[in-house]
Amino acid sequence: MDVRAQLVMVFNLDKCIGCHTCSISCKNIWTDRKGAEYMWWNNVETKPGVGYPKKWENQTIFKGGWLRENGKLKLRALGKGPTLFNMFFQPNMPKLDDYYEPFDFDYSNLYKAPPGSDQPVAEAFSQVSGERIEKITGGPNWDDDLSGSQVYAVEDSNLEDRTLVEDYGRMFMHYLPRICNHCLNPACVASCPSRAIYKRGEDGVVLVDQEVCKGWRFCTSACPYKKVYFNWQSGKAEKCIFCFPRTETGQCNACAHSCVGRIRHVGVLLYDADRVEEALLKPDDQLVAAHRDVILDPHDPAVREAARKNGVSDQWLEAAEKSPVYALVKEFAVALPLHPEFRTMPMAYYIPSLSPVISSGGDLHELADHGTFPLLEKMRAPISFLASLLSGGNQEIIADILRKQIALRLFKRAGNLGQPIEESILKNAGLDEAGADRLYRLFTIAPYRERNIIPTQQREEQDSYQRKGASGFGILKKTRGPK
Amino acid sequence: MLNSFIFIVMPYTALALLIFVTPYRFYSNRLTWSAYSTQFLERNVLFWGINPWHYGILPVLAAHFIGVVAPGPMKAFLGNQSRLIIFESVGLALGLFALFGCLALLLRRVNTPLLKRVTFASDWVLLFLLVAQALSGVYISTFMRWGSQWYLHTAVPYLWSLATFTPQIEYMTDFPLILKLHAAGAFLIVALLPFTKLVHLLYVPVRFLMDPPILYRWRSK
Repeated sequence: MDVRAQLVMVFNLDKCIGCHTCSISCKNIWTDRKGAEYMWWNNVETKPGVGYPKKWENQTIFKGGWLRENGKLKLRALGKGPTLFNMFFQPNMPKLDDYYEPFDFDYSNLYKAPPGSDQPVAEAFSQVSGERIEKITGGPNWDDDLSGSQVYAVEDSNLEDRTLVEDYGRMFMHYLPRICNHCLNPACVASCPSRAIYKRGEDGVVLVDQEVCKGWRFCTSACPYKKVYFNWQSGKAEKCIFCFPRTETGQCNACAHSCVGRIRHVGVLLYDADRVEEALLKPDDQLVAAHRDVILDPHDPAVREAARKNGVSDQWLEAAEKSPVYALVKEFAVALPLHPEFRTMPMAYYIPSLSPVISSGGDLHELADHGTFPLLEKMRAPISFLASLLSGGNQEIIADILRKQIALRLFKRAGNLGQPIEESILKNAGLDEAGADRLYRLFTIAPYRERNIIPTQQREEQDSYQRKGASGFGILKKTRGPK
Repeated sequence: MLNSFIFIVMPYTALALLIFVTPYRFYSNRLTWSAYSTQFLERNVLFWGINPWHYGILPVLAAHFIGVVAPGPMKAFLGNQSRLIIFESVGLALGLFALFGCLALLLRRVNTPLLKRVTFASDWVLLFLLVAQALSGVYISTFMRWGSQWYLHTAVPYLWSLATFTPQIEYMTDFPLILKLHAAGAFLIVALLPFTKLVHLLYVPVRFLMDPPILYRWRSK
């Protein structure tokens, strides 16, 4: 047993309102500089939708993630030999158009324009070429709230029935905030010929060493989530750093900190590094169970002993015990990995959202036998869609979680109204009263220090104002070209 | 005068720069150590430029090196006439391939507005220099036949004389101007290497072939 600690984020999709505050706070701190304008280390997508970069989930295009082959895991894209022969031109790399051409507006024209008969306007210009853009054709959330659904949402590879997005009566959507998953089996790390990308042993954060990166670009496509970006200015790869300067000091990541819906939880998970590969060799629909199996119980004395031997401190073990993430991912098993079938073992987990019921034709708001709350099958977001997104196609897992959420609501509703609740409802969903109360608290009124339990690593001394807008990563040297 | 400049001053200057500037750059600012790929911004023309260029120039460059390192075996290998003919033809074809590639790369820089902000003076200098070098190489290979053979008897001993600090430029002085320019271009490229994106030549990724896929770094270990 090789016990390691990992900082993990859980997203409660049931609460995400798609306000993009997380994206803005991330951008403001980390990617507000030249070459990084197009990068959104944290982005929020509307599902169904093509996402950012467009069609990132379709691995036939960018060939990210891992495949099982002869009882072994293999990068989908290129083996080591072919990597050497494709250094000059990386065949699977996403291009600028797959994201969008970043733009800004020439506000100076508003007061510099010569007198004329027309009101001056702030024209858009490209932040890459500096040239005027006649018509903006893309952005980081261009298909937000199903806009252009006939063009974008229908292309969602999780959608079985494409007519869903064309029918107002059956249409559905939810948001999907995404950061780097800081995977246990990161494809970006494996694909790097320079060995610039590494996983930190202490907290599992995956980082690109800017001094070692040579810009060979294999990571940008090897990551099935497309969360490694190429900085066209510095010629190197960059990615979400899990706000390590913040988490090291016990502060919450900027995205989670600024989340107005308070949908995010950050905490420690202990896992068995020896069993990761074996778990990833399971068939798609068993991957979620395999994920949960790799995650260890921090209360177990044997686990604690092995963790201590690996240098996990008491402070971290305590954080692991109290971890809201452990509760959500393993204890209550309500949080699921995003696309486990990419086999990177992502360490960001998502609680699927409940959705409104279908109210078409005669069966208007048909309810479950216990009243008020709908049958699973009547939910607008098809279980198959959520299963394709979060459980490798295993619909049973999704149904279990939705059942838990519905039971929880019934339980709290009855409590609020002073009505008795049938015990079987909680029991059938795999909950008890104490558990339901804890889950309710985590989902709703848990304050900052309960939602996020982050043990410290080391104090950072550098002034944050000096870092902001500099070269990122706290490196203050110049890359090249004018600042 | 021109001869001693090209065949004594240039090579030693280039070598000195390579030896002293490269580590300085490596230890002072490794953030600039990149091939500065522009594939992200433009990939259609790049495919037709970068692949022919690299796959053309690498074997040609390797042949130049092998000639210097192992002139004896090379002489023996090229002693057979049919082998010599095949070797020369393949070399010329690869040279033309590389020339086509770097011309495509040059035109790409000229014609793509998106590349304007990532194209610096050094990119232009390198592109023009490499086109000139490929062009002169192709010219020599076409009009000064059996270069692979006479190279071993002229340039190679001259380069060895440089290595022993007893430069014998007589080996080179009687050549036509075009060959002197080809040599000067080569020295210039070596001189520019530590200052430009050409530093990517100094890093060949081989360690990853042996490494396990996932790399960990521990602060404590």
